[in-house]
Amino acid sequence: MKKVLVVLSVVSVMIACKKTNDTTTTPVATSKTVSDIIADTIIGYTAQGQPFGANKYTFYSLERNEVVASTDSATNRWDIGFRGTTIITNSGNSGPGNGGGFVFIGTYDALKAVPADSTFRTDIAPTAYAITSGSNRGWYVYNGQTNLVTPIPGRVLVFRTATGKYAKVEILNYYKGGVTPAVTATDDEKTKKQRYYTFRFTYQADGSKNF
Amino acid sequence: MHHICAMKSKLLICLLSFNLFCASITAQTDTLTSIGEEIVVTATKTERKLSNVAVPVTIISQKNIQQAGSLRIRDILQEQTGIFLTSGFGTGVQMQGLGADYTLILIDGEPLVGRTAGVLDLNRITVGNIKKIEIVKGPSSSLYGSEALAGVINIITEKPKENKFTAGVRYGTYNTLDANVNTTFHVGKLAVNAFINNYNTDGYSIRPFSVERAANPIWKFTNNINLSYPFSEKTKLAIAIRNTYEDIRNEIAVTNNGAVVYSKGKEVNKDININPVLTHQFNAKLKNTLRLYATEYQSTQNLLSTGAGSYSDFLNHRFLRIENQTDINLNANTATTIGAGFTEEGVRSNRYDNTGNRKTNTIAYAFGQLEYNALKNISIITGLRYDYNQLFASAFSPKLAVAYTVKPTLKFTASYGRGFKAPDFRQLYLNFTNIAAGGYSVYGTIEAQKIINQLNSLGQIGSLESDFYRISTLEPEVSNGLNIGMQWQPGSKWQVKINAFRNDVKNLIDSRLVAYKTNGSQIFSYLNVRNAYTQGFDADVNYKLGNNLLLSTGYQFLLTADKEQLREIKEGKIFTKDANGFSRKMDRSEYIGLPNRSKHMANFKLSYEHPAKKVFANIRCIYRSKWAVSDKDGNGLYNTNDEFATGFTQVNISAGKSFSNGIRLQLGIDNIGNYIDVNSLPNLPGRQYYLSFNYSISKNKTVKK
Repeated sequence: MKKVLVVLSVVSVMIACKKTNDTTTTPVATSKTVSDIIADTIIGYTAQGQPFGANKYTFYSLERNEVVASTDSATNRWDIGFRGTTIITNSGNSGPGNGGGFVFIGTYDALKAVPADSTFRTDIAPTAYAITSGSNRGWYVYNGQTNLVTPIPGRVLVFRTATGKYAKVEILNYYKGGVTPAVTATDDEKTKKQRYYTFRFTYQADGSKNF
Repeated sequence: MHHICAMKSKLLICLLSFNLFCASITAQTDTLTSIGEEIVVTATKTERKLSNVAVPVTIISQKNIQQAGSLRIRDILQEQTGIFLTSGFGTGVQMQGLGADYTLILIDGEPLVGRTAGVLDLNRITVGNIKKIEIVKGPSSSLYGSEALAGVINIITEKPKENKFTAGVRYGTYNTLDANVNTTFHVGKLAVNAFINNYNTDGYSIRPFSVERAANPIWKFTNNINLSYPFSEKTKLAIAIRNTYEDIRNEIAVTNNGAVVYSKGKEVNKDININPVLTHQFNAKLKNTLRLYATEYQSTQNLLSTGAGSYSDFLNHRFLRIENQTDINLNANTATTIGAGFTEEGVRSNRYDNTGNRKTNTIAYAFGQLEYNALKNISIITGLRYDYNQLFASAFSPKLAVAYTVKPTLKFTASYGRGFKAPDFRQLYLNFTNIAAGGYSVYGTIEAQKIINQLNSLGQIGSLESDFYRISTLEPEVSNGLNIGMQWQPGSKWQVKINAFRNDVKNLIDSRLVAYKTNGSQIFSYLNVRNAYTQGFDADVNYKLGNNLLLSTGYQFLLTADKEQLREIKEGKIFTKDANGFSRKMDRSEYIGLPNRSKHMANFKLSYEHPAKKVFANIRCIYRSKWAVSDKDGNGLYNTNDEFATGFTQVNISAGKSFSNGIRLQLGIDNIGNYIDVNSLPNLPGRQYYLSFNYSISKNKTVKK
């Protein structure tokens, strides 16, 4: 039912588009929030105290708004993948798709369309992902004093999906339940609650670059 | 506790407003004593009456130190207006909003060395033989060169005068035992003051159920000998020899990703200072002072960790200086001081490429100062110093100060000064890789490009960041400081001191990410990148309530900002998050400025003293408003959305009585409210009780001339 409504509203806007004095405020595509996407959560510590996960990506389809089985990793069924702080796109050497992405600086609402001069990067794992990995380089910052990962405010991840559609994503939180542990929480708690993504996204099904 | 705090602050406000009310109705009398009869040496490098000095100066007397029950220099400094003690790499001092790196710490006019990450640990210095402490705020590089950027703290030790013998012992919470012996005697013309201090503490742990201690078990020993020998009425040689030894037993528990690693070990710090000073008074107009100074600080730390092997750290810092200063009183209205000196210093550390290889630097400098009483009421002090530096750019440090005495009870001052801090050895030579914490490396600027290029040729560098190409010879950090003040005595009972300040600091050195290794490890180096300002005002009001009570209050208002961050905010490049985690633009009004700075700091002291009965008692409250501790929203700067430490009030009390047989008893409680903040105030222990016993005899033996 919801999908039908979305489609209807999209269609109605498409009909109404190009009119400069249009008074309808219906969004072109709606924003959805997804919680607790597991991104290779910690399953143990090494003898040296280093935490480790199973080293597996969680694949996600922005088009269908669902997690995709890892057995489908070599298909176009997924658009983005999560493992720890690394976000991959179904592009380059990460997947067979026509994906890509880049980081837009600004607010989510301010990004009404993919800017004309944008370049979608593709993945060259493990050194140059479309969404650059590392603290303070892509979407997050790691604070060595508090041992916490925080999404940098004002960073919108713009993606081209595996099938060449466009979507924008804002990472809201990296911890279980969408709540960052207190600075004073133990390192163990911080470690065990990390790698749970909460994000909101807008997927443009019509193939246009407008959000 | 919070109730007490709230009550205290209310009380403070009441008293303040009452005072202001009183001020307006107190009739002026003619029995005023003029401001500042005390002598101060730090402000001009010559002995001057406080009233003749045109820069903000605070003098802490021996009596103040004793009555506050202080043991180490940090204890008394934390009670001063506008001074906050920082934690991390020891206890440092934050003055006019500038960090611990930017205040020069002197003992009898000569610098202490051995800073860790820029911080000179104030716990190193006992107060047992301190005659007074002079604090000069604002840049004083025109006289002292590097590091005198936020200000100068000059610790002046007792000089041998009349024969005396003093012994004291103090025992308190955490098995803290402090014992002093201080004696002055004469051998012919030679006057000797010898001082020994022994300090022991179990340290404390404010984190519950933790073996780790916020302060470790420590044994500190200080020995200070001040010799004075008059060759003639005009020529005098003074030699100060100071020697300290610290033995710190470390028991550290580091939680590394959930696994606790226990380390046990020992840290030994040694500090030796030798300071011969030869003065010759040619005549009433001409005086010459020749100073030699040699100091060495050595720190060694050896730790054994469970499972993870051993860890050791070594630092040896040597500093030699020769300086000559000539004071000429040209006429009744004009005095000049000229001086020149040469410094050689060197550091060896295992954090540099090679422990055996001493990194050295030499500095040659000259300075001049002119004091001129232009009119009856106006005096002008100008100064200039030039530092020629072997390793980095030279520095010019001018200073201009003007004092306008409206009447004996009212004086206005204004001063401008340029301060600088030369890059330290760590910023030049550090070669450190922290294997425990993710394997990041920090290289000093002289090493960075060499090492990174080497790693690159071995294929170990994943990427070079844009800041890598900006690594170049470090420039000194420079500040332009302005201070405008007023000293006012609106009646025999009142003393008001107000000073407004602004410091514009540029070329601040910060560590920046310059490269990634192929394994993802980060490499940092140092760059002159930041510009900042600190501004605000401080005020001290003293009021004599009757004959025996003195009320003193102090307050500092402080604003700070990183200028680059301000620009980015203005350009709309900085964002924060709302409750949903959605980004929005951050407004200028949300910007806090530099972290670890409180907008408001205040102190309130009520002292009772009855000289005839030989008793005293005091209560001292120190307040600090909240301060930013971590960037919670991840936008790279500090704003209202971030993590703050809660503001707090610390209350200390002390009382004592002297007896005619030379015995003095004192007891006190520090931090009565037991205020503890495990995360943000690791250097503030809980409630502490102490009792001290002192015995002194003195013989008024005037030195034969």
